[in-house]
Amino acid sequence: MGPMMDHALTPAATDVGSYLPVLLLVGGAVVFGIMNVALSVLIGPRRDGAVKSMTYESGMNPVGTARKRFNVRFYLIAMVFLVFDIEIIFLYPWATTFANIDQTSPDGLVWLGRILFFMLTTVVAYVYGLRKGVFRFD
Amino acid sequence: MDAPSFITAQLLVSVVVILAVVHLVLVLAGYCTYFERKVSAYIQDRIGPNRVGFDLNLPALWFLKGLWGLGQPLADGLKFMLKEDYRPRGADKILFSLGPIACVIPALIGFAVIPWGGTVEVPSFTIPLLNWRIEGGPCVVAGAPVNVGVIYLLAVGSLSIYGITLAGWASNNKYSFLGALRASAQMISYEIPLGLCLLTVLLLTGSLLPEKIIEHQAAHGWLVLAHPIAAVLFFTCVLAECNRTPFDNAECEQELVGGYHTEYGAMRWALFFLAEYSHMITSSAFFALLFLGGYHLPLGVEHHLLTPEATGVLAMLLKFHVFLAKVLALIFLMMLVRWSIPRLKFDQIMAVAWQGMIPISLVIVVGTAVLVHTGRSSTLWMLAFNVALAAAIYILLPLMPRATGNKRVRLAGSRWYPAVGEAVRTRSNDPRALEDRPYEGSLPV
Repeated sequence: MGPMMDHALTPAATDVGSYLPVLLLVGGAVVFGIMNVALSVLIGPRRDGAVKSMTYESGMNPVGTARKRFNVRFYLIAMVFLVFDIEIIFLYPWATTFANIDQTSPDGLVWLGRILFFMLTTVVAYVYGLRKGVFRFD
Repeated sequence: MDAPSFITAQLLVSVVVILAVVHLVLVLAGYCTYFERKVSAYIQDRIGPNRVGFDLNLPALWFLKGLWGLGQPLADGLKFMLKEDYRPRGADKILFSLGPIACVIPALIGFAVIPWGGTVEVPSFTIPLLNWRIEGGPCVVAGAPVNVGVIYLLAVGSLSIYGITLAGWASNNKYSFLGALRASAQMISYEIPLGLCLLTVLLLTGSLLPEKIIEHQAAHGWLVLAHPIAAVLFFTCVLAECNRTPFDNAECEQELVGGYHTEYGAMRWALFFLAEYSHMITSSAFFALLFLGGYHLPLGVEHHLLTPEATGVLAMLLKFHVFLAKVLALIFLMMLVRWSIPRLKFDQIMAVAWQGMIPISLVIVVGTAVLVHTGRSSTLWMLAFNVALAAAIYILLPLMPRATGNKRVRLAGSRWYPAVGEAVRTRSNDPRALEDRPYEGSLPV
């Protein structure tokens, strides 16, 4: 497509080996989490009781289970979130490249126009959701 | 003898930075609870924790007694460890423990790409005993210099939703479940303006690498000057992502007891707390990196050791401390916000995100793209655009349709219900009156 400038990646950063420390960090975090929970189970006291192990509902006897159907609005928000999230994922590579291309060349206008059209499609989805009352939680 | 190919100077620097920063974040998270209590105490005209020192009740250590309560985080940590690790009967056995662990892992790995000390020049050297030759060169002082850069921060930051959702569902408690639902809805909603504000930064810097973003700010001025509105929106999103007041709806005591961690206690609860404070530290570092120039100091106090070109060890340490000072200042700001602004209602939180911040940040992205295309990407042009946008918002806001429907509907039984004989303006075919609860007793005008 357009003329790419050098894309500001250091040689070290393009190496997959740069993810090795992330792996180390994840391993450390997993060990930290499990170790803390395990230590607390081992060290702490353990006394059980019929009333004590009841689900806490402000002192009332719990009625039924909590795993019931919930408001559909949370589902709608998740759906609209997906539209925007995927839009933003597509915008990241565009933004980093757009800042580096020669804006005076005809390609610059093409890069801008295409992404504006792409964002327009999301705005249509947004306006549809707004008119449908997806964002109303009152 | 040659070292294995994956052992480079960069890897060794990364391991050292990880070891240093993990300990720093854990200790800082502990002491953030102390500072939080001290800040709240000063705001509410109290003293705050001032008893627990490090004397361990030994008379020989009398000089460590008190110390402004600095031993409090340590005592709290020990207390969490020694408390009963309680689980209610109806809870899912595995997921109940997995929730806090899944919450603390993203919080502890998030800061890997933050370039705390810029770049450091490592000389070539040989590891003794193993006799491995390590080639020197410029190394990034970050946990992991991955090429996705700031995207990594965004990706890892949003992973903490899973821990909260797991905890809320596994507890089998209605408060926890509702709290988790609200928290996840809030966090995904505020991720969108967060991502869009990041886009405006990327449109100016043209690189995802944190070092390049700081270099750009060192050359062209801090981005908080170029994009003040985006910076404010970003900070607001950070508060929401950390579940901090005024967005701590997930755990509002009056409605949901403890929110998603109602049923938690002991170390599992402490992991949630630790995750929240580590998330605060990471997000503050993220903000300082994007908008406050990272380790760079502005005009007047500029020092040659704080430029991207300085790669010595002294420069690295100095940069690290400047960065840390900015992070601490931002954490202090978060605490001030927590103790001064009341909590928003859940519908207001969603309205702020979807009907306020997302349209505004979309406009900022489009405006920045157009300005960059026309070659006006200097700080002054961006600032002018932001001022114009702020003026436009100020003028257009009263003309916008109201976000919520809390109108004075004169329903029977409501406090707007007309008194006997009071003349009200209504129509018999008012759809609201017909659909909801048509009322009687009012006199049509």
